[in-house]
Amino acid sequence: MIYSEVSGTISEILVSNNQIVDNDSTLIVIECMKMLIPINAKKKGKIIKIFVNEGDVINEGDKILDISYI
Amino acid sequence: MSWKKELEEKVKREKLSEKLGGSERVKRQHDSGRYTVRERIHLLTDKNSFQEVGKIAGKAIYDDNNDLIDFKGSNFIFGKAKIDGRTIIVGGDDFTLRGGSADASIKEKHHKCEEMALSLKLPLIRIVEGSGGGGSVKTIETTGRANVPEVEGWDLVVKSMGTIPRVALGLGSVAGLGAAHLASSHYSVMVKDKSAMFVAGPPVVAQIGQNLTKNELGGYKIQLKSGAVDDAVDTEEEAFEAAKKFLSYLPNSINELTEQIKTEDNSNRSAEWLIEAIPKDIKSVYKIRPIIEELVDKGSFFEISKEFGKSVVTGFCRLNGWSIALMASDPYSYGGCWTAETCKKVQKFVDLAETFHLPIIYLVDCPGFQVGLDAEKKGTIKEGVRAMSAIWQTKTPWMSIIIRNCFGVAGAAHKRGSSFITRYAWPSARWGSLPLEGGIEAAYRKDIENSSNPKKELEKINIRLNKLRSPLRTAESFWIEEIIDPRNTRELMCEFADLSAPLRTTGLTHRTMRP
Repeated sequence: MIYSEVSGTISEILVSNNQIVDNDSTLIVIECMKMLIPINAKKKGKIIKIFVNEGDVINEGDKILDISYI
Repeated sequence: MSWKKELEEKVKREKLSEKLGGSERVKRQHDSGRYTVRERIHLLTDKNSFQEVGKIAGKAIYDDNNDLIDFKGSNFIFGKAKIDGRTIIVGGDDFTLRGGSADASIKEKHHKCEEMALSLKLPLIRIVEGSGGGGSVKTIETTGRANVPEVEGWDLVVKSMGTIPRVALGLGSVAGLGAAHLASSHYSVMVKDKSAMFVAGPPVVAQIGQNLTKNELGGYKIQLKSGAVDDAVDTEEEAFEAAKKFLSYLPNSINELTEQIKTEDNSNRSAEWLIEAIPKDIKSVYKIRPIIEELVDKGSFFEISKEFGKSVVTGFCRLNGWSIALMASDPYSYGGCWTAETCKKVQKFVDLAETFHLPIIYLVDCPGFQVGLDAEKKGTIKEGVRAMSAIWQTKTPWMSIIIRNCFGVAGAAHKRGSSFITRYAWPSARWGSLPLEGGIEAAYRKDIENSSNPKKELEKINIRLNKLRSPLRTAESFWIEEIIDPRNTRELMCEFADLSAPLRTTGLTHRTMRP
């Protein structure tokens, strides 16, 4: 499970459910304090569920995405 | 006629002391994947270097003839030992005896351990498990009365925080006084999913309606994020290595200075990629840790409190072999803005460096304090001015390199008022009272509103102002002393370390009250 480490706005979602992603690939971009902060995969994995939509305002600690690392 | 018999009796008691809480309790400790306190001290320290103090202090049982039947040592073990050839003091709780609590403790041993480290001016490593010599509910029955709370010996802890390096390793469940010892250190470590720290554990917390496991209440994820503990590792062996590594950057006490060590790394080493390390797109972030690794002596960066106040990375490193305290902004966390947690982290780190006379280098990319409701609720400005005061109160040599943003009051905290610091800026540096992006619409609202094409007008203003904010224009008026080629940064940092070495002074740091 990936939780947001910052509060901000979901700027871009680059993956979809069931997608296989490589290590370090960008999954979601959060706009925070006028900066675009990418959330990257820590390892190769499969996207299980995305809990946010583009434009959503999120808080620190909010659930962003569930990924199963391979 | 000799004293052989008496010595044999002493050895017998020592052997009984080595049995700790007995084979069943020791097995339980091992079964839960934890070492006993004696094994821990053995693994932490140089071979055969542990000189225990008070090994035969404990509780003895005698028969009617006053002959010894059985003996159990105190559940706190301490003494002198060496790590990497350097003498330290180590003390640890024996969880196999009444869970490390006061019921099986001799409190004077705790005090003597603290006193010895403080008086001999030697680093102290405390291995904490259980209540760390504090009381339990059953204490009332063992003493036959309730006690007025008092933490005897805490004055020694307070004094040693300003005198000698204190490292605390929480290697199991830690509560009450044990938690106080773990938190009262310059560097603390937990073992992931085996350690937990709390003021009071799950059974007590259940009484206020919170049904939580040890991990949910005080596991490493909670305590690292709260800043109560600095680091977490996977094994006890790694915790011992972390303690050794941390101490390797510090003197034995404030009465000494760290020495230069031999390094194979070239102080003039430059790295081509640093010229493009900072993206031109001001909204794009970059990874700060590879930049740090490139600049410091190879492999020497030791990060502290990675999970807390993440907008600033803090840690020790070496430059040309000298021990240096390094801070660097991390744009991945709130764009590098100082949150309330970041401010607390900066306070502690700057105090640590100042206490042990380490020069400080700060790689600056700070767009200001975090803004918004969350920031206000956390009292960011209050923590911010405390962090600023900590910086202003330092006397240790200071170097700042502005690598990107430097805005507002938090940005100004890259230096300590008017006192001299060594300062450089990369060509990617940008500064001001407020980032333009945050204020153009407000400051030029009338111009934009009165324009027939507001979007174009805003763009025009942006282009005009962007030309003005070149760091070279600031250098014209000497507001910044030098714009440097990022590829030459290591050389300048090593030169700073060399020049700072003779400027360091020993002794007690003194400061007035902070806001």
